[in-house]
Amino acid sequence: MNPLQRLRARRREREEPLIDVETIPRRRLTIVLAIAVGLASLPMLITYILLILTSFSNTAGMLTISDLAHYVPTIQPWIDFLEGKVEPTAGHLYTTMEILGIILNTLIVAAGVSIVVVLTSTMAGYAFSRIRFRGRKALMQLVMILHAFPGVALIIAVYALYVWSLAALPPSAWNTYAFIYVILSRASLEIPMSIWLMKGFFDKIPWEVEWAAIVDGASRIRVWREIVLPLVKPGIAALSIFAFLAGWEDFIYVWVFLKPRDIYTLATFIEEQVRNLETAYFPVVAAAGTLYLIPTIIFFITTQHLLLETYAGGMKA
Amino acid sequence: MPSRQTIAVIAVIVIIVAGIAAYLAVTSHKPTPTATTPQTPTATKTPQAKLELTGNLKEDLLRVAKVLTSNGIHTVKFTVWGAGDPNSVMRTLGIVEAAHRLNKILEENGVDLKIVVEQRFERGGGNELFKEFLAAYEQKANPDIMANSYIHLAALASQGLLLDLTPYAEKYTGLLNDFYPALLDAVKWHGKIYAIPQDTEARPLYWRKDVAQCIYRKTGINILKDLAERVKEGKVTWSTVYHYAELAKKTGCAEWGMIHRKGTAHPDLIQFIYAFGGRLYDPKTGKLVLDVPAVYKWLSVEYAFARAGLTPKNMMSWDWAKQIHPTVVDGKTLVFIGGTWHWTEWQTKPYYTDPKTGKKRPLTPEEVAKYFYYTLFPAGEEGGKPVTLSQPFVWYVAANAGKDNPKYQQLSDAYHALAFLLLVKASDPDINAIHSIISSHLPVRRAAAKLLRDKAWIEKLAKLQLDLAPEVKKAIAPIVKATVNPINIEFLANVSSYLEYTHLTPKHPYYGKLASIFADAVDKVLRGEMTPAKAVKYIIAQVKADPDLAKSVEIVGKIPENWKFPTS
Amino acid sequence: MGAERLRSFLTSRRGHLAFFLAPALTLITIFYLVPLILSIYISLTPLKYWQLNRYLTDLSHPLENYYRLFYLVTHHPDIGKVVITTIVFTGLTLVVNVVGGLLLALATYLMEERFSLFYRTLWLLPRMTPIAVYSLLWYYFFHGSRFGILNSILLSLGVIHKPVWWGVDEKLLPWGAWMILVYVNGLVGVSFGMIIFYSALRSIPREQVMAARVDGATTTQLIRYVLIPSIKWHIVFVTVWELLSLLTTYAHIFLLVEWGLIDKWWGTTWALFVFNTAFTAQALDQGLAAAAATVLVAIGLVLGLITLKIMGFKELMIEPRGEL
Repeated sequence: MNPLQRLRARRREREEPLIDVETIPRRRLTIVLAIAVGLASLPMLITYILLILTSFSNTAGMLTISDLAHYVPTIQPWIDFLEGKVEPTAGHLYTTMEILGIILNTLIVAAGVSIVVVLTSTMAGYAFSRIRFRGRKALMQLVMILHAFPGVALIIAVYALYVWSLAALPPSAWNTYAFIYVILSRASLEIPMSIWLMKGFFDKIPWEVEWAAIVDGASRIRVWREIVLPLVKPGIAALSIFAFLAGWEDFIYVWVFLKPRDIYTLATFIEEQVRNLETAYFPVVAAAGTLYLIPTIIFFITTQHLLLETYAGGMKA
Repeated sequence: MPSRQTIAVIAVIVIIVAGIAAYLAVTSHKPTPTATTPQTPTATKTPQAKLELTGNLKEDLLRVAKVLTSNGIHTVKFTVWGAGDPNSVMRTLGIVEAAHRLNKILEENGVDLKIVVEQRFERGGGNELFKEFLAAYEQKANPDIMANSYIHLAALASQGLLLDLTPYAEKYTGLLNDFYPALLDAVKWHGKIYAIPQDTEARPLYWRKDVAQCIYRKTGINILKDLAERVKEGKVTWSTVYHYAELAKKTGCAEWGMIHRKGTAHPDLIQFIYAFGGRLYDPKTGKLVLDVPAVYKWLSVEYAFARAGLTPKNMMSWDWAKQIHPTVVDGKTLVFIGGTWHWTEWQTKPYYTDPKTGKKRPLTPEEVAKYFYYTLFPAGEEGGKPVTLSQPFVWYVAANAGKDNPKYQQLSDAYHALAFLLLVKASDPDINAIHSIISSHLPVRRAAAKLLRDKAWIEKLAKLQLDLAPEVKKAIAPIVKATVNPINIEFLANVSSYLEYTHLTPKHPYYGKLASIFADAVDKVLRGEMTPAKAVKYIIAQVKADPDLAKSVEIVGKIPENWKFPTS
Repeated sequence: MGAERLRSFLTSRRGHLAFFLAPALTLITIFYLVPLILSIYISLTPLKYWQLNRYLTDLSHPLENYYRLFYLVTHHPDIGKVVITTIVFTGLTLVVNVVGGLLLALATYLMEERFSLFYRTLWLLPRMTPIAVYSLLWYYFFHGSRFGILNSILLSLGVIHKPVWWGVDEKLLPWGAWMILVYVNGLVGVSFGMIIFYSALRSIPREQVMAARVDGATTTQLIRYVLIPSIKWHIVFVTVWELLSLLTTYAHIFLLVEWGLIDKWWGTTWALFVFNTAFTAQALDQGLAAAAATVLVAIGLVLGLITLKIMGFKELMIEPRGEL
């Protein structure tokens, strides 16, 4: 087999449907486990169902079980939310276009973070997996230890660097720069773990695949791009999901760098609506929260297949 | 194995430290423009004489416009931020409206200058906005004008982030004298004016009329008879309230005697300190005051109410929407320490369970008037005076106001003056009165209070036949429809008289810290975890644990011996 | 000429290394290492209110923040609770996360796929929910009034006769508050372990499982002798990773404390204390926060290095197989 054929074969193998590994009949075991896990999941199920029901109600506070007796479904909170009314009696605080803009901003940050994370950690992961160099172990160790430093402890210093760097740019570029800065700084928090994961993926790929190409005189960078990367696609997909989630839910970085410029993401928007429980109007909050969940759920389910292979790869010792 | 790696890690860190140190060493020699901001508030940048105002708005506007247009500037952009409940949008729209009016004057006089205002109104309290302003300042993303609580004035001014408005404001004595004196105090710090009042509120003590009626039926005691008067005269004290609350509970007319808000003790519960004749600030030393006797008496009231089951011991953990408001609007308590804004909040949120249908709905304005009686916050003990407490919102001008406009370095004086003129215009009585009505706040100046009694004008407002910027009109239309109602306006007009009794908590950068320690103590006392005496010691211990705070707080007086609540 | 030199550099071994490592290392340096050192520097300055220009060059009292921190820790009437809470919270949640994640992974591995996917998605929801909304859900779940969901269920089942104030009742403290903390954070953490363990389990060669079954192994035996041993390394990894995460967790606790669901002091961890010191409006005291964070970081560093050593770092670093 030449490397290309082998590659195709490998791909076919990956696309095989997940086969149950168990050989004995599992119906009874499944039922027992499903009930057990179901019981453990009950509180979660209840709270999330109540969240969705709240978004279709006009209630003070979140809907609780005792409110269900008088539950009257209504679509009004969704209309209010999308039309910029954060409370039924309030004026329009924002327009429908603006709420779409908020969703778009969230997407930009999330997509940006996942692109940066995937790009940098597939590269670094490859180097850690394939190239012997001095300080390799120390660097890997450092990357792991970095996780001990919380983003919240870093934000002030990250802010300081930002403020100093602003002076070098014309004010007209500040908004764009703020976006880029948020994406890069937020991505950096995810990079250490991602490098570890990607290294594991590369470790799993047999060396012979690239070896042939390199012997033929292809450059290492080309081999990485054209031969190795396609083999770790599941890893890339999964990584991008996790990075996407990180960007999608980030609050503090977005708050510091984007909100002052009147650039909201869903996370800052929702926080503003619910932060003060005394005056919050919950149905609209619930609608926004539900909307927030939908893309991530779709993302997860559609990429489930790929995800299953990621972490195992990352952990391969 | 780890030794070599660890050394490598340390080496990397050391290199970076050295890099940073070198960077800082370089930058610290190169003063940045903001670094020259003077350290002391007294030296805050004052406008130069070349652009002195006259006190005549039109004349001043044209004068400033001339400076700008002669420099080739024909559009000036300002940003304004504000925060509050969604009905308080006039906090930012007021500036938009002011720009609209100033533009009209400019146009009428053939001046080619247009003021453009970008506004951002945020839902929530002023604390969040204050934090955002600070985080935005060095990014140069801060607004030129901000509507926020006066409580942040000391912190902002002490950092040199506010424009000193004194030289401008001094010229507008007519306007200044029309503000309520207490509110004018709120915008001053170290003798200088740093803001212009925007709105205020009072905190009435709400009494359920139906619960009082029930007590009257069962015992013959008429609580409500001349109650407002008796409170005003100091004849009804907190001991009296305690006995009434006991009565309400004993007769079964109400489940609870007294309910209050939760969260940081600022500002509702702070009223107790003033009601017991205490103080929080010493203007002579400029320090905060921990008035031990007053705080002790306050905590004793909470303790007594909670022990007698008149106030829930878990009050500070009660849920707003499920417990606090429903308890009040369903008449399960005799009194509620609330604020003026609750009057309309009860009309907009479904807290009330309709006894006929069993469903939740908001109260109608008629129902609110039917169920609620209101008085000042009674005196703590005999010989004391009733109080209320206000937390005015004010318009601040940032020290770098106008920064987004061309030739800022050269023309900053003109931009600053123009920002101030916007505030002057935004203080127009009708703008202030509209805000009061649609957001249930109190007007800050007498001319606006007068409008609340002007039936013809209110009629016009209800129909939105006022001359407002189209943008503003469109934004407030649904709120006007929901809130402009004679019952509500009468309530506001009545409560405005409370401003004579109002107190303001101190403008001190550490006041917030102290207030949150009070909240901790109230919680512990209500729960019975501590006696009032122990709680006072706890407060002192917390104050002393923070060396900075300890330096700024004067602890005065001792726990009064033989003092018991209720006193009679 | 310049392009020529660049090309020759990029084809050299050193060039490859630089190409692959530079982007990640640059980002980590700029946004992780430099801020880290800088925040240690900031802990020596009186920085507050985000005003860098005003305070950042002020090194007149470099140890002031550490002194204040020390003073606070030795004098604050409730700080002991914060320290104990941090230790208990980290320990308990770590166990919940690892054991819970393992149990979930085993259950979803052993059950049929259609149930499995549903549960895996469900248990990932906490990680996907915006923190404010997530806090809100559990706020109402554990609320001490009869409207609290847990209370209303227990009341209607007759288990309790009057509502229990789970997070604040002094008879239940500190465990009531800790239970909520651990539960709410555990749910978020469990999904991490679940996904890693589940995918690790799925990567065990089928033959091994089949062989065990053919030999007549019961499910318990299968778990004990085949499944667990093959994912041992993953368990160690998750434990270390979660330990470091938990030390720095504050986001999912912050609102619960602020909203009064749990006791203020029995519910505050060190990381939350840092956050509150730096970011609440009452105290935008960032110099002090940086000092407190530095202490946190030092603890994390020590714990991290110890655990790395325990789990055998060498094993992790198999020699690269890409050398010519």
